Amino acid sequence: MPPSICLRRLSLAPSDLTAHAMASRSLLAYTQTTSFSHSASLSAKPGQGKPAGPARGERTLNLGKNKKVQRDMGKRPAPGERKALRKRVVLSNTNALVVEGLNDLTVSNIETGDMQGQVVGLSEPVIDQLRAVEAFKATQGWYLFRRPAMLMRKETAQLSALMGDVEAQKKTVRRILVGDRASGKSTLLLQGLAMAFMRKWVVINFPDAKDIVSAHTEYAPLPGSNPLQYTQNAYTANLLAQIAKANSAVLSTIVPSTDLRLPIPTTRKTTLADLAVLGSKNPELSWPIFNALWTELTQPGRPPIILAVDGLAHIMTPSAYLSAEAKPIHAHDLVVVRHFIDHLSGKSVLPNGGMVLAATSGSNQPASPALKFSVQLAEARAQGATDLPMWNPYELVDQRVMEVLTDVDTLKLHGLDKQDSRTIMEYYAASGMLRKQVDEPLVSHWWTLAGNGNIGELEKGSVKMRA
Amino acid sequence: MSGGELPKSLLRAFASLGGFPRSQLRSIPSSRRGLNQSTPKYFSTGAIRRAETIDEVPRSNIAAPPISFSEDAQDIQKAEEQAQKLLKRLRVVPASASYFSAKPEATDDFVTLDTLLRKYSTLPVVPAGHAPRVAWKGLHHYKVKVNEPIGPARYARIVAILHRLNHIHPALMPEEVTTAMARFKRDINPHDIKPRPSVIDEWGRSKGVGRRKTSSAVAWLVEGEGEVLINGQTLAQKFGRLHDRESAVWALKSTQRLDKYNIFGLVKGGGVTGQAEAMALAVAKALLVQEPALKPALRRAGVVTRDPRKVERKKPGRIKARKMPTWVKR
Repeated sequence: MPPSICLRRLSLAPSDLTAHAMASRSLLAYTQTTSFSHSASLSAKPGQGKPAGPARGERTLNLGKNKKVQRDMGKRPAPGERKALRKRVVLSNTNALVVEGLNDLTVSNIETGDMQGQVVGLSEPVIDQLRAVEAFKATQGWYLFRRPAMLMRKETAQLSALMGDVEAQKKTVRRILVGDRASGKSTLLLQGLAMAFMRKWVVINFPDAKDIVSAHTEYAPLPGSNPLQYTQNAYTANLLAQIAKANSAVLSTIVPSTDLRLPIPTTRKTTLADLAVLGSKNPELSWPIFNALWTELTQPGRPPIILAVDGLAHIMTPSAYLSAEAKPIHAHDLVVVRHFIDHLSGKSVLPNGGMVLAATSGSNQPASPALKFSVQLAEARAQGATDLPMWNPYELVDQRVMEVLTDVDTLKLHGLDKQDSRTIMEYYAASGMLRKQVDEPLVSHWWTLAGNGNIGELEKGSVKMRA
Repeated sequence: MSGGELPKSLLRAFASLGGFPRSQLRSIPSSRRGLNQSTPKYFSTGAIRRAETIDEVPRSNIAAPPISFSEDAQDIQKAEEQAQKLLKRLRVVPASASYFSAKPEATDDFVTLDTLLRKYSTLPVVPAGHAPRVAWKGLHHYKVKVNEPIGPARYARIVAILHRLNHIHPALMPEEVTTAMARFKRDINPHDIKPRPSVIDEWGRSKGVGRRKTSSAVAWLVEGEGEVLINGQTLAQKFGRLHDRESAVWALKSTQRLDKYNIFGLVKGGGVTGQAEAMALAVAKALLVQEPALKPALRRAGVVTRDPRKVERKKPGRIKARKMPTWVKR
């Protein structure tokens, strides 16, 4: 029996069918371009299968032996309420003391490096921008202190120096942030984003790579892509909204210089910020608009760009999405991920200079042996090792990941030294969250217990777990 | 021993003695008073001891009296009659006080040692705890040796005397006591085995080994800034619980030396807590090599003595080590 759906689709062949050289492949591609879903609620026909059971709260006759007492649970939380609570980021603790003499991070003190080894605050506009790109995480200890502040550590200085290089030489810096669990990778990423905002860069942040690949947003094959790629309209629209909100100061000053050729009318006054907003409001057009925005941003004379992702391991494995053949789609086949990976691998460069940062996660990472190996290799390379590690040829490896990460460098986060530990602990004490005299024995005690100065463990031990 | 056996053997003894004068025969009863008689008079049923103490040919081995060729049968008969008459007047008392006891060996040992103690009780002693450390035979070994069912309480009394005898000043220790005590010493004195004292090696490292439950840890301590690396991981990576991290470095923490030394540790076996506490002991041992004077402080911190507790074994007939199966009516 011939597949009726395919034949029906054939009769509706598109006009651009002839444009493709290989008609048979295009046909195949087209048949897959229809939006589809494998979620259960849509695939099941109504009126078939088991009844869903009585509605909640409805009284039913229950004659069974194991009668369960139906208790009134009260009002259940509304859809999304619990998730919102879980994702809620609290950036202030009104019970914490105001720290006297806490300076804000500014462009000037970033460049001079005066703030090296000191705790600095973040100014309100930057906090708003960072919030817009979801750079703050609920698991970080922002809720403990009066206002967001952070330690300018050695790695921050390195990052700052790299940013200076980018601005001076218009080069693309690509780094994977690696380090122990709770060593401050996400916070360093946040520091990078904050500095980029202050330097008037365009910031595009993927706050959690897991959201891209966990199959919680809709997806569709990208028409005409070979090999087949997939767009995620809802995710891209949200991303555009974040870009528009966070970078409005920069993007609202830039007017498109090229013919965008968008399937939506734009006026002459449309700035890039408007364009991003337009994309966020039309999810079906979000990917073409993102592309148009990217084309505009890479024109000569535009500001540098910082691309950042947290939780890199998630996009280095097959995603949770399924293809039409019910095979897992590799994360690299998602256009959003593809776009990021091309820049991380160096396949695409940022013509106006910029930075591609990818932070690994110590607590939420799927197994990605290729990523792990690539990081080891990069570290060995950085140390100038003569015998570089070799992949065991008898083990299967995700070749796509290996190729992508061939020459990416790492930025390794080590533990703080005793001086930095003392500085941050004095900040804890000044905030009233550590009620002890910060002296040499106390600092060395927590420094050792925190695994040679791991900053997350230092905070956990001295502030969060205090009796 | 049956009742008829003794007179018969005595008769044989007299017969073999021949015409001994009466005065010599008289000396037999006097033997009950002194244990330190030169002639062997111990009679004992104990199998092992008999061979040790009696240096003459055991008389029980003699099936018949030696034949005297010089005298005729009449003389022998006369001697027997004399002996019969003598036995009517004599009361034979066994040399050993425990002759009629079922367990003569142990009692003899006790009496011997007690006698020795009384004899030498006036000798000067060393203060308590300063005597050379001796591991006495355990009850089990002693039981095997004497082949008698002796209980722990009775053996404890023997050991108490030995302990007292051991406290006699070594310069004045009589040979007799030394030989008597030697019989009760273990073949190998574990207190003589002294571990080689650990030293700080050429790199300034000191090594310590610690154990807890089924974990075993080795720690190297070197002067430093308080860095810790256990099995190649930092303290925070190795031990998730803050409590375990504190346990592992407790020896240094309690002596305010956390920022003076670096620790390199290897630990294996058991669980997380066991590993942390094994590490604590290992670090303390290594610290003692660097600073021996810290021993009292470390002992107060509780990281010198190994905790001997282990999981109690399961027994047959029980569900766990002690738990009994549920009682069922039938």
